[in-house]
Amino acid sequence: MSTIITRSRITPTMWMVVPLLIVMAIGFNLPIIMMLAKSFVQDQSFTFANYIDLIEMPVYLKVLVNTFKIAAITTVCCVLLGYPLAYWILGLSTRWKIICLAAIVVPFWVSILVRTYAWIVIMGNSGIINRSLLELGWIEAPIQFLYNEFGVVIGTINVLLPFMVLPLFASMTKIDQRILSAAETLGANHVTIFWRIFFPLSAPALAAGAVLVFILTLGFYITPAILGGGRVPMAANMLDLLINQMPSWEVASSISVVLLALTIILFMFYLRFTNEEKAR
Amino acid sequence: MTLQFQTARLPESAFQLDLLTKKINRLLLAGIGIAVLLFLILPVFIVIPMSFSESSSLRFPPEGFSFRWYVRVFSDASWLAAIKTSVVLAFLSSTLALILGSLGAYGLVRGNFIGRDFWQSNFIAPLIIPSVILAVALYFALAYTGLLGSFAGLLLAHTLLGVPYIVLIMSIAIRSFDIRIEQVAFTLGASWPTMFLRILLPNLLPSAAAAWIFAFVTSFDEVVITKFIAGTYETVPKKMFNELVLQVNPVITAIATILIVISVLLMIVAVKMDQKSKAILKADN
Repeated sequence: MSTIITRSRITPTMWMVVPLLIVMAIGFNLPIIMMLAKSFVQDQSFTFANYIDLIEMPVYLKVLVNTFKIAAITTVCCVLLGYPLAYWILGLSTRWKIICLAAIVVPFWVSILVRTYAWIVIMGNSGIINRSLLELGWIEAPIQFLYNEFGVVIGTINVLLPFMVLPLFASMTKIDQRILSAAETLGANHVTIFWRIFFPLSAPALAAGAVLVFILTLGFYITPAILGGGRVPMAANMLDLLINQMPSWEVASSISVVLLALTIILFMFYLRFTNEEKAR
Repeated sequence: MTLQFQTARLPESAFQLDLLTKKINRLLLAGIGIAVLLFLILPVFIVIPMSFSESSSLRFPPEGFSFRWYVRVFSDASWLAAIKTSVVLAFLSSTLALILGSLGAYGLVRGNFIGRDFWQSNFIAPLIIPSVILAVALYFALAYTGLLGSFAGLLLAHTLLGVPYIVLIMSIAIRSFDIRIEQVAFTLGASWPTMFLRILLPNLLPSAAAAWIFAFVTSFDEVVITKFIAGTYETVPKKMFNELVLQVNPVITAIATILIVISVLLMIVAVKMDQKSKAILKADN
């Protein structure tokens, strides 16, 4: 590399990074560091009290556990729904592939607020499902789909499923069809071919997608706020409360730091899985 | 499938069983696939017809046909103010992000850096970190500097959110643009500004436009950070969110439909631009 030769002098091209560097440092790195510092301070002295509070106060622990639970449920559902969808699209003709992919990408570009609102129309007490069931006489009173965990999970899956399906599909298209043909030639039936060859080859992309969905659910704010109706507290909504309603900044920063650390750790796994896939 | 004559050597019954299960599995898979796809696009197809409803109930299919909710949006001063704030904010922040991000991407790609990957991931980090964490951090920092609830603070936050898209898209575009073309321009006596205006800009413009649109839409769509730091400023998503939490209001369907139409149009433009830039870069190679 020519790095060794030019390392000593700063070329004009390198100055071009400086404005961005300054803005990022002021607007991003510094605030994150400030938050980190704040989480270790109480009454102007260094302490771990803010973190001990998280474990000892049942309120905080309950919300954190609840967040992980919803993230886990969402991730499992996205795996179970996303994999068959990607696999099905793979077998379609080029034209239908494009139509299906467009159907997955378009909601991506529609505001989360709009998509969340639609679920009120669909699943609300006077929504489509409940009114249809009532008219058919199958139920006596509307079923409570919203303002509970079920509603939040449905809304979250709907928003995050494309994050799973799109990379998974891209990885599936890269699997060499000749390997599958070779297995067929050697007498394997298609169930064996799928489970022994195709699935293991697509597993890293599936794992990467699952980790991504999990990370994104951890910080979800809008869907729990609207479809949970305040009854399904998740970490992000608690942060909102701690900052905007009852100023408790130190605890808010310790929760943020925990979430941030988790995100970074999980993202490392995500990178490992995607690298594994590239190396394949 | 092209090799079926080989598999035919299997005992006849086993082969037929395999074919049968294959058929059943295909049907099952198609059923699941179509159901999941419908689940994904259902919300989009619910909201658009609702916006033309005559009544204020949430009934679907909507009753009657009218533009009353659209009229309501455009005659309500607070919605108009929110639209104006959103457009100005998205325009300024995406433009700022484009300038900073493109310069940064060029420096990163063409310069010799120690820890280039580190800087690159630092610039992309706002995309990966949950926005609520960034919201908390920015809240503290802006409160500390007294910029909480100011337009400047909002602009800074939205610029940060646009930077990752710009850096990602522009890095790819710059990397695939042959550096020798730039060197030839210098050899032939072009100054830096000339080279930039006559060589780089025309070639990178489609990518830059696509990246700008990404940043614009990101800013226009942002709720969480805006809600934490905007103070009295109302953007369209913030106002929508606040109304959704309080009550279900059909005006939102009209706004939503307008947003869907604009985002889909912008997406088509962005994709077209990206294809064009790829075509240019291919022609160069």
